[in-house]
Amino acid sequence: MPLKTAIARAARAMREDLRLHVVAISSLTVAFLCLAAALFTMTNLSSMAESWARQGRMSVYLAEGAQTEDVAQLRLLLEGLPEVREIEHVTSRAARAQMATESEDAELSRLPADLFPASLEVTLAGGTTAARSAVIAERVGRFRAVEGVETYEAWFGQLESLITTGRVVAGALALLVLLCVLFVVANTIRLAIAGRRDEIEVLKLCGASDGFVRGPFLVEGAVQGFLSSAIAVSLLFAAFVAVRGEVDSTIAALAGVRSVFIHPSIAVALVVGGGLVGATGSALSLRRYLGV
Amino acid sequence: MSGKGNVVRPFAFFRAGNQAHANPSQRPILVLEDVYKYFRPDVATLRGVNLEVERGEFAFITGPSGAGKSTLLQLIYRAQTVDEGRILFCGRDIARLTSRSIPYLRRNLGVVFQDFKIIGHWTVYENVAVALEILSMPRRLVRARVSEALERVGLAGRGGEPTSSLSGGEQQRVAVARAIVSEPALILADEPTGNLDPTLALDILTLFEEINDTGTTVLFATHDHSLLEARSHRIVYIDEGRAVEARKGLGAWADRQTA
Repeated sequence: MPLKTAIARAARAMREDLRLHVVAISSLTVAFLCLAAALFTMTNLSSMAESWARQGRMSVYLAEGAQTEDVAQLRLLLEGLPEVREIEHVTSRAARAQMATESEDAELSRLPADLFPASLEVTLAGGTTAARSAVIAERVGRFRAVEGVETYEAWFGQLESLITTGRVVAGALALLVLLCVLFVVANTIRLAIAGRRDEIEVLKLCGASDGFVRGPFLVEGAVQGFLSSAIAVSLLFAAFVAVRGEVDSTIAALAGVRSVFIHPSIAVALVVGGGLVGATGSALSLRRYLGV
Repeated sequence: MSGKGNVVRPFAFFRAGNQAHANPSQRPILVLEDVYKYFRPDVATLRGVNLEVERGEFAFITGPSGAGKSTLLQLIYRAQTVDEGRILFCGRDIARLTSRSIPYLRRNLGVVFQDFKIIGHWTVYENVAVALEILSMPRRLVRARVSEALERVGLAGRGGEPTSSLSGGEQQRVAVARAIVSEPALILADEPTGNLDPTLALDILTLFEEINDTGTTVLFATHDHSLLEARSHRIVYIDEGRAVEARKGLGAWADRQTA
C-alpha cells in the first residue's frame, strides 16, 4: 500500500475520531515530558561533572586577620607548584560582591564584609589527581594564615554518585515510558479498530491486503508517538527558556555552571523514537485484535 | 457500456489450471465438486454440493432460511473454508489459496449483502472508490470508473452525498456500484433485497440483470419467492445442505412455505 494512501486514510480517520486521538496524545505527552525532564536533569548533571572535572579547583580560605606577609609567602609556595596554573586573591569585600552579583540578592551587599572569608582561589592544571590535590591541600593547610582548604573532592564524589543514580533512574523511566506509550497506543488503536470494524470488513471484502488494512493504523500510532514526543520536547524547551533567566544565576552561584537544554541529537532521537514506539504499539494491537 | 465478454479485468490473478475445457473462455467460471461444510462435527450444513456456473450466467440460489445459501457464498469468497470437496473459480481451487492470496480472489469478485455493508459516514463516492483504491489505481481513473459505476446504478451525480442520508434502496445501489466498479468476473449477492420492499426489490433485481447483460456472472441468493417467479433464470435450490436444479421444484417449495 502506498504510504501516501495510508497517510491520507489515517488523516481522515484521525479527523473522524479526533477526541480519542487528542486524549491519547495528551496522555503520551505527559509520559514523554517525564522522560524528557529526566534527560534534561541528566544532561545538566553531566555538564556540571564535566565542567568540574575539567577545571580542578581549590579554595584556600584565609584566617581572619591573616598577615599580608603570610599570605604573600603562601602565594609564593603555591606559585612554585607545577600543578598550580592560576591564583586569584579574593578579599572579603570581593567575595561579598561576587556572591551578591551571582545570586542577584541586594540584601547580601548590606551584610558586613567580614562574614565572607577571604580566600585564594587556585586553579589546578588539568589531569591533577585527587591524591595530589589532597597532598597540596594538606601542605597548604599547615600555614598559619590558612583557616581551611576546600578541594571539592567530596562534592565531586557526591555528584558522580548522583549522576550514576540519575542514569539508573532515567533508564528505568525510559523503560516505564516505553511501556506506557505501548500500552496507550495499543489501547487507542484497539478502540479505533473497534470503531472501524465495519470499515475493515468492507476493505477485506473488497480484496484489501493486510498491509492496506494495517497501514493507516500504523500511521496513526506513529503520528501519536511522534506528535506527543514533539509536544513534550517543545513544552520542556519553552519551560527551560522561561525559567532559565530566573534560576540560572543561582545554579551558576551554587554549581559554577550554566544550565543547558538536552542536546539536539537527543531531542531528535526522542521524537523519532516516539514515532517508532507508537508504530510498534499499533502493530502489537493490530496483531492481537485484528489478526493482520 | 462494454459488451458481453468484453470486460476489462485489471487484476486477472486467476490463470488457467488443469481443465477439461481446452479453451479457458469456454469452461465454467465456478465449479463446486462434492462440497461439504460442517459447523458442528455431526451436522453438515452443506453435504455434497455439486454445481457448475457458466460464464455470463445469472443463477438464483434459493432455499429456506438456514438452508446454507449464505454459507455457500461465503465459501466462494473464502470467508469460510470447505471441509471436503473443492471449489474451482476460473479453474483454481480456492480452498487451497493461502491467506495472502485471498485478497486477490476477492478483487475478482463483487459481493453484495442484505445489510448493504456500506460506511455511513463516508460519501457515496468514497464507498464506491474504496474498491479501486485498494488496487492503487490512479485517482483520475478512480474518478472516471466510480462515475461510470454510479451512472450504471442510477446514482449519477450523487457521489458527494453522505450515504447515511440515502434511502435503503439507494444504499443498496451504492453497494452494487462498489461491487461492479472493479468489473469483477463474478458477483455474489447474498439476499440483496431482504431489507427492501417488493418494488425496490424488483428494481435491484433488474439492476443485477443489467449488470449480467454486460457479461458479468451473477449468483443471486434469495428466499423471496416473488422474485423467483418473476424471472426465468436458473434456480439452484438448497435444502438440508443439498443443492438441486429446482426451477421445476419451485412449486413444491412454495407450497411448503405456505403450509
